[in-house]
Amino acid sequence: MRIDVAKVTLANGLDVLVHEDHRVPLAAVSLWYHVGSKNERPGLTGLAHLFEHLMFEGAEHQPSGFFQPLQEAGASLNGSTSPDRTNYWELVPKSALRLALWMEADRMGWLLPALSQSRFETQRGVVLNERRQNYENRPYGLAQFALMDALYPDTHPYQWPTIGRPADLMAATLDDVRAFFARYYHPGNASLAVAGDVDTREVVDLATELFGDIPAGPPVPPVVVPPVSRVARRLQLEDRVELPRLYLAWISPALFAPDDAALDMVADLVGNGRTSRLYRRLVHDRRVAVELAAAQGSRELDGLFQIVASAAPGYSLDEVEAAIYDEIDRFVDEGPTAEEVAREHAQAEATFVMRLQSLGGFGGKADQINAYNVHRGVPDSFDADLGRYLNTTGADLAAAAGRWLVRERATALAVVPHGRGDLVIAGADRTPVRVF
Amino acid sequence: MSARFDMPVVGPALQVQFPDIAREMLPNGLRVWAVPLPVLPIVTILLIVPRGSADDPADRAGLASVTADMLDEGAGTRDAIELAAAFGRMGTHLEIETRADATFFSMTVLSRFLEPSLALLADIVRQPRLAPADFDRVRELRLSRLRQLRQLAASVADRAYVSAIFGDHPYGHGSLGTTGSVEGISLDDVRTFWARQFGPGGVTLIVSGATTTSDVVHAASVAFDAWDTAPEPRPDDAAWTLPPPADPRILLVDRPGAPQSELRVGHVGPPRSTPDFHALITMNAALGGQFTSRINRRLREEKGLTYGARTSFDLRRVAGSFTCETSVQADATAQAVADILAELEAIRGAAVLTTAELEQAKASLTRGYVRNFETSAQIARATAQLAVHGLPDDTFDRFVPEVDALTAADVHDVAVRALSPAEATVVVVGDRALVGDSLAALGRVVAPVTVDL
Repeated sequence: MRIDVAKVTLANGLDVLVHEDHRVPLAAVSLWYHVGSKNERPGLTGLAHLFEHLMFEGAEHQPSGFFQPLQEAGASLNGSTSPDRTNYWELVPKSALRLALWMEADRMGWLLPALSQSRFETQRGVVLNERRQNYENRPYGLAQFALMDALYPDTHPYQWPTIGRPADLMAATLDDVRAFFARYYHPGNASLAVAGDVDTREVVDLATELFGDIPAGPPVPPVVVPPVSRVARRLQLEDRVELPRLYLAWISPALFAPDDAALDMVADLVGNGRTSRLYRRLVHDRRVAVELAAAQGSRELDGLFQIVASAAPGYSLDEVEAAIYDEIDRFVDEGPTAEEVAREHAQAEATFVMRLQSLGGFGGKADQINAYNVHRGVPDSFDADLGRYLNTTGADLAAAAGRWLVRERATALAVVPHGRGDLVIAGADRTPVRVF
Repeated sequence: MSARFDMPVVGPALQVQFPDIAREMLPNGLRVWAVPLPVLPIVTILLIVPRGSADDPADRAGLASVTADMLDEGAGTRDAIELAAAFGRMGTHLEIETRADATFFSMTVLSRFLEPSLALLADIVRQPRLAPADFDRVRELRLSRLRQLRQLAASVADRAYVSAIFGDHPYGHGSLGTTGSVEGISLDDVRTFWARQFGPGGVTLIVSGATTTSDVVHAASVAFDAWDTAPEPRPDDAAWTLPPPADPRILLVDRPGAPQSELRVGHVGPPRSTPDFHALITMNAALGGQFTSRINRRLREEKGLTYGARTSFDLRRVAGSFTCETSVQADATAQAVADILAELEAIRGAAVLTTAELEQAKASLTRGYVRNFETSAQIARATAQLAVHGLPDDTFDRFVPEVDALTAADVHDVAVRALSPAEATVVVVGDRALVGDSLAALGRVVAPVTVDL
């Protein structure tokens, strides 16, 4: 599977990646800034994400804001912030490619003159409402916050939520935002990808014309990662929920590290979907669980492997937990069947082809090219990435599960309805978890 | 200032030409529509059974979707897990979606798996096992899911809103049913529903992507030719009556301690077949359909009260709805309701769309239209609209010129006819102790309600 991508690095450090695909008259623009909540510090959490909001409020030469000219040009557009990076994208009819690049260049080079105290305060209000809507007012919405807080020491870059803590957001100032922009939003910390019905030479020329005069910024220092204890913790959280739910979490390999792909496949075989072992046992045969999911969440500094299950009415989380460990032990001891391995390989092949369908948006080709460039330095890493899956054997999967999914290192969190502390897992620390 | 800082100009909207649909019919009446596309080696398969939650018996809300859930719990020679594994070996899985007007079975697979995929799909609709043990599990899972939804403010609001605006109309309940209605559903109900509603007549199979018409017809024929049951004729929807417009009221569902209030504001609206289609879409784009539209600008970008607010027309086969939906910080609930109602009034009279707003809405819809037809799945979904609503083949080709031709008078006229803020139902799922008094001050009756889920 080869995707032709031209890569040019401008004098100011901006990586420009171009992929031609002439099936439809569209152009996808993706711009990654290699900054996320991991680059924040305690006391100023949520700044990377709040900043993403401000990027849509308009730059110096965009008097009507960022959205309006692009929407009028027929674009769809959005952005997102993760612990590792912030990405922005526009999917446009090809005649609007220059506009999309011009808009991105304007906010990379000339955002601050348009940034006002009132825009800052309004978007801070919007972000606090995003937090209420997606976390505080949502069943189990605070579970991930509690887990991160339990898994990592206070100074670890993955300890706080990307959305930020309300007290930190309220304490942030316009000066903090300006300093953040100067430190992280510059060509040397960014990667621009364009995919679609475009000409490579023209795109490189256009990028050079529009981004080339933006000054290179200061090098971004690596984040400091304190050591992480891997002692098992058992926690409880009462929330506005109906059914008790168990989260089992392990620190796991980072994105593209050894065992990362293997654990992605293990997650599938153990706990994802109807063909998984835990579905068969917990949901289909014994009917002790009603919701089930497993995932290897790969990130830059490390990964997080999670298994999540809700107990069926009348069943306990302890029964669910015991069954999960039984299945993990069996998987480690016996390994997957040949049929399971073949299915994982077929899934990988199909998934990689299907991922090439969309040019733009989250997960579209332009976004994937940028992900590979930022995390591996090679924009066409499709084959290498797929190879990680196809070259993994059943023995590799069992070994990876044995290395990482160790009971003594799991952090367990039980989320139970308010007032139903009797439903938590055995041995839970009764001190309420911190959620802030 | 140099041209460096002049905003670039973009070209006119591209005319969209929807790909040709090759239409065939199997001897049993099943319609096979093939849409070959020059894309990656994949196909999207979409089977549409023209029965949905609107066909639920009045005392069996949720029956259509429970039946749909049962179909892939074992069919032909395979049990539930063997079926999932068979799809898994082809790197795909089947999605089943019960909507009001129809039930959709869809998957995207590598083209080389077209034939085995259709064979599995045929087993599922034609030879489901509908076994007691599977039924007990499916019903139990549904009851747990409904129970979980009670704590999801958006689901509670949707449910309260749909019941309020549609009343006893077949569109007046959620496709999942309620705990009470699902407890009343038996395996016999499922078997009867399947036998009466599922048959090749009226079913449309759409295959789009890297394939040929003859391959599609051949594979469909191998898979579906033996399907020979005859479903009951489609019920006469002329007898479906909408409730009369309600008195303006605010239905308040108490959610103690909620940091936000989930809001729905709106009323019934026209069906997909309305001649106002293009004017409605354009008016809605300016009112609340886009990020820069009036309602999102006011509630989010000017006041910061919400993460987002939007309006939409849900255009179904027999009727539809107009709805503004948002979730706002609790202490601004009454203000947000007042703002939304004021915007609905404004666009009808006090502050009609400016020329700039209208041109922006039209430009964004027409220039952006081409984005809707990029993938095989998008093409299949578009083709499905033609099947479900009986629309002509040039539906998509006509969109750009029809929107281009709209005048300010057309759009104002449709706002006056299609928006009825004075009759709008307002649903609030929020902390009654916190928001009740300020809502009462809006001058509408505030009725505390509970929601059946």
